[in-house]
Amino acid sequence: MKKKWLGMAMALLMAGTAVSGCGGGSGADTQADVPEQYKDLKGTSLNLYTWADMFPQEVLDGFEERYGVEINYANFDYDEDMLAKLEESEGGDYDFVIADDYILELIWQEGLAQELDTSKLENWENIDPRFQGQFYDPKNRFTVPYGAGIPLIVYDPALVDIEIDGYEDLWDPSLEDNVALIANYRVIDGIVLKTLGESFNTEDLSVIREAGEKLIELAPNIRAIEDNNTQDLLVSGEAAVAFLYTSQVYNAINARDDLKVVYPKEGLGYGIMAGFIPSDAPNAEAAYAFIDYLLEPEVSADCFEYIGYFCTNKAAEDDIDESVKVSLVLPDSAAEGEFIENVSQEAEDLHAEIWNQFKSACD
Amino acid sequence: MAESRKTIWPLLLPIYLFTLVFVFAPLVYLVVLSFMTRAEVWGAVPRLTLDNYKRILEPLYLRVFAESIRLAVSSTAIILLAGYPFGYFMARMSPRWKKRMMVLLMIPFWTSTLIRLNGWIIVFRSNGVLDKFLMALGLTDRPLKLLYSYPAVLVGMVYALLPYMILSVYSSAEKMDWSLTEAARDLGAGRFQAFVTITLKHTLPGVLSGVILTFIPSMGLFFIADLLGGNKIVLVGSVIQEQLTKGRNLPFAAALSVVLFVLTSLFIALYRRIVHTGEPEGLY
Repeated sequence: MKKKWLGMAMALLMAGTAVSGCGGGSGADTQADVPEQYKDLKGTSLNLYTWADMFPQEVLDGFEERYGVEINYANFDYDEDMLAKLEESEGGDYDFVIADDYILELIWQEGLAQELDTSKLENWENIDPRFQGQFYDPKNRFTVPYGAGIPLIVYDPALVDIEIDGYEDLWDPSLEDNVALIANYRVIDGIVLKTLGESFNTEDLSVIREAGEKLIELAPNIRAIEDNNTQDLLVSGEAAVAFLYTSQVYNAINARDDLKVVYPKEGLGYGIMAGFIPSDAPNAEAAYAFIDYLLEPEVSADCFEYIGYFCTNKAAEDDIDESVKVSLVLPDSAAEGEFIENVSQEAEDLHAEIWNQFKSACD
Repeated sequence: MAESRKTIWPLLLPIYLFTLVFVFAPLVYLVVLSFMTRAEVWGAVPRLTLDNYKRILEPLYLRVFAESIRLAVSSTAIILLAGYPFGYFMARMSPRWKKRMMVLLMIPFWTSTLIRLNGWIIVFRSNGVLDKFLMALGLTDRPLKLLYSYPAVLVGMVYALLPYMILSVYSSAEKMDWSLTEAARDLGAGRFQAFVTITLKHTLPGVLSGVILTFIPSMGLFFIADLLGGNKIVLVGSVIQEQLTKGRNLPFAAALSVVLFVLTSLFIALYRRIVHTGEPEGLY
């Protein structure tokens, strides 16, 4: 409680200095809390490109109101669509893009992102360092993390007779025709690799083949493979166990608090969504303003409560509602995670092949 | 005749150009792409290879093609069996009822197929409409697992494509001269014989266009199998989509498309040979 008061007092103090700071200049300016370098943005537009529903409407409205910048929010369904679009426009058309970690590595290799000038970002220090310096951007040169995902097992204890504590349990014969899976083959092949004590990103084709054989044995237990709203299968009772993306876990728990969440003991899969400014962004300044805005603790907390991903903003953790903190603030035990990274073409092709074999075997 | 052809030529030019740019050129692009090698990150490099086609010969992909053909043939057969009598009897209705039936057939098209298929999910899912109905009748005592099965996919396919068959059969049955069947009956043919020799023969072009309009899309409507089959039935369409997106292997996706295209054309040619009919109704 004391801390909160201190924080508020600090905030008031800072707001006070900010107001007095620009009070001499423009007088009764409606853009009182807009930093000097962003004043010129008024009347311009920000071309935002990411999946649908990545921000609560208030957050977008708040930005438009404060900076006088119109947001054009364009959507893609798959990271690959975004890569294709940016390849076509040679890094133009969009000012700020949020996508998955693995594709960001390719974006950088292809020269489609510009280096961030972090001196322009007042709130840069708010970022939780656990989500920085990752494989796709080891020196934090071009990305700002926006939420982390860890796919987890969720199950309905009323319909399941066994105690589930890892991926291995999904193969249990008692779960016949009762498991729902997300449809991402690197993730699913990956958890099989984990049960074999291997890395998600192994290049050893014989190990991947071995995982493929083990995956086929899972087929009788599969109820459905679905990437969208997979949690509905669990919530409606269509399946008793589901392996879900983080936002789906969040939605499942919000819908039914009797469901149990499992942090699989074999190891976790990390995914980070991060934003970058394309190399030829038409309005990069607006993107900087938007990034700084998103990194403000209150804005950030609103965003994570809305998208249901693990919070990547250290300063925002206190602002996240107590009731949902469990699924939005990363627990310490989650430290042993691994990213899914790009692998060689042969390995990638083999993963795709295993996946199709598995799906056919489910029929 | 020669004169009128000359004067009409400039008028046809836009259509030829359109076909060239939007139909022929993409096909050529597809075929060329299918012989290229995938690029490291995205796209293709012009290093010619037959590997993409060799890969299709692997048992996995042959099975995928077989599965697609099985689903397309079985759904087309059901659609034909259900759609033919529908179209036939519709053509025999009074003009007033014909109009009413036409409106009823058209109304579902006002809503996207995807949304209507989600309606089927509500019907089929555990504790869904059908489950509750069967349990209320006392036929079952607990929820069945109806969704995410082959029959569910088949229902979706038939549902989505049935109107095309009905309308094709209807349009050819409607144009038929019914006095021909009367003449056949007068000349001593039984009801069945008159139907086979006269009606069926005259409505075959409608049947053919109906089959084309249902068979071709049913080879490619993978989203129905994804939605109602829970991704457990792998069709060529889903493999192509996956290779284009997650797999990032454009040349292989192109090769699969070319094979799908050739296969579909072969089936249509074969079908036309079997039924010995001239032109399909209203398609050319």
